[in-house]
Amino acid sequence: MLFDLRHAIPQVKWLITCLLATFGLAYLFGSLMVALYAGFTPARVAATYAGPAMTMPMPPETTVTVQHPMQMEDFAQPEVHAVDTDLLIQDTHVHVPMYGLFAAALSLIVLGLPLSRGAGIGLVTLLFAAPWLDFAGMWLTKFASPHFAVVTLAGGYAMGIGYLVVSVLAVHRMWFSRSGGTP
Amino acid sequence: MNAILRVAAATLLLHITPVVVLIKRPAAVQALLPGANAYFQRDLHLSDRDAHRLHEVVDWSPENDVLTFYLGRSGNADVGTLEFVRVDTPHGPLEVAVGFTPAGAIRDVLVTKATVEMKPWVQDAESAGLLRSYAGLQPAQAPAGAAAVTGKTGSLAVYVAGEVDKGVQRALTAYSLFYRPSATRS
Repeated sequence: MLFDLRHAIPQVKWLITCLLATFGLAYLFGSLMVALYAGFTPARVAATYAGPAMTMPMPPETTVTVQHPMQMEDFAQPEVHAVDTDLLIQDTHVHVPMYGLFAAALSLIVLGLPLSRGAGIGLVTLLFAAPWLDFAGMWLTKFASPHFAVVTLAGGYAMGIGYLVVSVLAVHRMWFSRSGGTP
Repeated sequence: MNAILRVAAATLLLHITPVVVLIKRPAAVQALLPGANAYFQRDLHLSDRDAHRLHEVVDWSPENDVLTFYLGRSGNADVGTLEFVRVDTPHGPLEVAVGFTPAGAIRDVLVTKATVEMKPWVQDAESAGLLRSYAGLQPAQAPAGAAAVTGKTGSLAVYVAGEVDKGVQRALTAYSLFYRPSATRS
């Protein structure tokens, strides 16, 4: 082990605990935001990223006009929060670096846990794979098939699971390990 | 370490906050198509040539190259036309609703969506008279909301007014290039 969280000085243990609590708060509100704007089902995620089904698969030779009557109630229908290509580029640009920093911080904590080499590498891989899956799923949903919405969902759940595993192991190692305490 | 901190700070600064609805669509429709009792949605599926023409003029393409106009009628009388236009900014998306009179001038403009971060900037710009600057604008004229509020409010409100100008310009251009009062109905 590079270092052992159990033998860390109390200030470091407290720092890591506060960091995990802050990340937890961020993930909690992140999941609430996902619930508001994209949802947790493949159908809702697909609607968000794939957009409405194209009525015209190819651009027409000349501009085509289609008109139909509406009722005022139609304007009140809940809108699907659609993320088009421009917005997805922007989202990817601003979110991926932050997710990378989250994964890096959690991975540093993993280095202080008494895990086998395989388990450690697996957990670090999970932490970084989660945002990769999240955004790969969004792009694939948009350009390959709406069925790839499940990849985004898998990425989101992997993010939550990775955080929970690291938090539980780290808090246990720092504060509840029987031979814990300052060296 | 310094580089990591800079990347973290830049990422935090660029993080987009959630979108909030400032005015619900039914309220926007009632405000911009006053007195209408019948509504129609007109989708224009742009050809490559027309989509390119629009992009050349305003550096913008609507989603899936489909322009949508909402028409209001009261009996047989044309009340006007309405467009919802999204503007993507570095701070997230804005949505602008632009209403036209039957004569083709802008009746009114509303900012219907903004991000949590931009909402107070939008409110400051509106308090400084941003939306009043658009009333009566003709398709050949350029919106100048940012110029209208410069000196009357803060720099962030002036910035967001410039983004609203973009949305209004897109709506004006789309209307003048493609809207025909008597299009075929399906």
